Amino acid sequence: MIRISDVSKSYGELLAVDRLSFAIQKGEIFGLLGPNGAGKSTAIAITCGLLVPDRGEVQVNGHRPVSKAAKRQIGLAPQSLAMYEDLTGLDNLHFFGSLYGLEKPLLEERIQWVLEFSGLTDRAKDRVETYSGGMQRRLNLAISLLHDPEYLLLDEPTVGVDPQSRNKLFDCVLALKARGKTIIYTTHYMEEAQRLCDRVGIIDHGRLLALGTVDELIGEHGGDGEISVTTAEQTIVKTTGRPIADMKALLDAHDDIRDLKLIRPSLESVFLNLTGRQLRD
Amino acid sequence: MNILLSMVKKDFKLIFRDKMTVFFTFIFPILFAAFFGSIFSGGSDNNQLSVAVADLDRTADSEAFVQRLIDSDELAVDVMEEPAARNAVRRGSKVAYILIPAGFGEKYGSLFTGGTPELTIGVDPSRQAESGILQGSLMKLGVERFENALSDNQQLSAQLDQSIAAIEQSDDMPEQWKSLLGDYLPQIKALTEQDAADNSTDNPDGATTGMAGAFTPLALNFEDVAIQRDGPQNGYAVTIPQAMYWAIMGVVMGFGVSLVQENTFGTMTRLVTAPITRTQILGGKSLGCFIALCMVSGALFLIANQVFSVPIDAPLKLVLAIASVGVGFVGIMMFLAAIGKTERGVSGLGWGVMMIFAMFGGAMIPLFVMPGWMKTVSHLSPVKWSILAFEGATWRNFSYSELILPCGIMLVLGITCFIIGSRTLKLEN
Ligand SMILES: Nc1ncnc2c1ncn2[C@@H]1O[C@H](COP(=O)(O)OP(=O)(O)O)[C@@H](O)[C@H]1O
Ligand SMILES: [Mg+2]
Repeated sequence: MIRISDVSKSYGELLAVDRLSFAIQKGEIFGLLGPNGAGKSTAIAITCGLLVPDRGEVQVNGHRPVSKAAKRQIGLAPQSLAMYEDLTGLDNLHFFGSLYGLEKPLLEERIQWVLEFSGLTDRAKDRVETYSGGMQRRLNLAISLLHDPEYLLLDEPTVGVDPQSRNKLFDCVLALKARGKTIIYTTHYMEEAQRLCDRVGIIDHGRLLALGTVDELIGEHGGDGEISVTTAEQTIVKTTGRPIADMKALLDAHDDIRDLKLIRPSLESVFLNLTGRQLRD
Repeated sequence: MNILLSMVKKDFKLIFRDKMTVFFTFIFPILFAAFFGSIFSGGSDNNQLSVAVADLDRTADSEAFVQRLIDSDELAVDVMEEPAARNAVRRGSKVAYILIPAGFGEKYGSLFTGGTPELTIGVDPSRQAESGILQGSLMKLGVERFENALSDNQQLSAQLDQSIAAIEQSDDMPEQWKSLLGDYLPQIKALTEQDAADNSTDNPDGATTGMAGAFTPLALNFEDVAIQRDGPQNGYAVTIPQAMYWAIMGVVMGFGVSLVQENTFGTMTRLVTAPITRTQILGGKSLGCFIALCMVSGALFLIANQVFSVPIDAPLKLVLAIASVGVGFVGIMMFLAAIGKTERGVSGLGWGVMMIFAMFGGAMIPLFVMPGWMKTVSHLSPVKWSILAFEGATWRNFSYSELILPCGIMLVLGITCFIIGSRTLKLEN
């Protein structure tokens, strides 16, 4: 389990992370959703020991993040690509794998696996420079999988990736969850959080505003849904906090119904309700 | 250790991808050494042996002999006074001097009488190998003397007349000899003249060489030369340690930049989040830098030795010099990376600092030709001490205790810079 307790970090005057607390359970995909500059990357950096918080503490399976024990359990795919573009994919994997002290046969096996997993086997011997944006992202992820860590920290893994590659990445993330990995996934796309994450923390200006499953968040903060019923004569649209009851009442009242719609509030409306701003600026 | 080695391997791969660094680190220094080495080697390019000649005889024959020396392909001749000639060899600017003693011309000019012409020769003892070439080419000139005289019938005829006259006038020659030669020589003369009439294009090569072999063409008297000089005998011995510095600079800049580039590439994030220590990260970089420094220095000395014939008499001392210079510049690399912080900072600061070191340290002007004040300033440049370590291990023939100073300075400097640099350096930004 990763436990983040009362963590703050400022850059000079700017409070990037403000008394953040949450715990991540084994086997879940935990989403950190927030706009650019919300403090997601800073939170990730503190979690993996890159940054030391000004206050509070982080525990990874009870270890401090800077300890070797914690580092072996964490795989980080940084937001900005972290690899040698002048080297081949294979060279990168060999080098970063060697940092974890894997024995040669095991390292080779892991390299084969991550290449296959990320669909890069064919291009392994090409220089990273020649990869497409999506392939570079996948290699960035593949490198963090080499030492088979329990926890994966994926910081905006879909930035700069075309829709097709994005779907491939989603498949990868879900496949990793199926293999029992625990994943922290940061994004500013609410669709991604909604589609992938078991639980989502909504973060803005360094503060955690809400935390729960997507349904819980929507139920609590999503506000009213929208129902619309179309009869032969008219279309009735209604904003309501009790969509099911209201829909039932409408269905009972009209015989000639041609169409009906139930639009649930999204995480977008959760964010809007919590901050008064749109998620995407 | 495995981690350090894989860091070294990775950095080497990266550095070798950078064509500019490879050029300035590996190719440029060799070109530099070859170009300036050939200039410093004082005209002895095309492999001519440079000799000083002093003509003490000053006769037409001796002057003709000097001209033969000047014309010969093997020798680059400077004619000077005797003391100047001796000095030139003592100071190492000439390989040998050739003194032509009084009376040489007379002996040289007459074939059958007058005795063997003698030369006095002094050779730089460190270039004994070349004295063989010198002997060979002088003997060839001596033999040519016979060949020319004998292959030219008219000259031979004149020679014979001269000899007959000399024999007739001679007081100390026994009568039997006088009468024998008195009969014999005119007959040779008659034969020669008949031969000339028969066949003017005649080339009696075989016969004359056979005849020449019966005489000693030249007697060479070798003198011992006490050497006293500031510079090495081989120009490359100066330019190789200088060239080395350009290679060292390439490596230092390459690794300094690659250290801060880990930040630019974002790869420092991965290094820092891997279960390795800060010491291992910096150690891996330093080890790579050290190995690269030793490799380029070693390779340059190997080329110096094999291609440019720079003597390496004490390989162990050279290893010591290379290793301590390596340590020194690893420290400087670390310091530059810590102070420069960014790629631009490191390369700007680095080139500036390294160039000033180079200028005052003897990488541009050799230390031994620097004016006094500049020699004093050069003490502040690590380049001076590294060049001194290299030169001490090669042509300066330092003892181990003499080597301690330059090597020790490089070691202390390197370790100090390394400690300051590695403490100051921020891995994560
Ligand atoms: N190294 C830094 N120095 C100063 N300010 C920083 C630094 N890194 C991030 N910040 C600031 O901290 C805030 C949070 O940044 P970040 O954690 O990167 O947000 P996110 O990843 O959610 O976009 C932003 O306002 C950003 O400008
Ligand atoms: Mg970020």
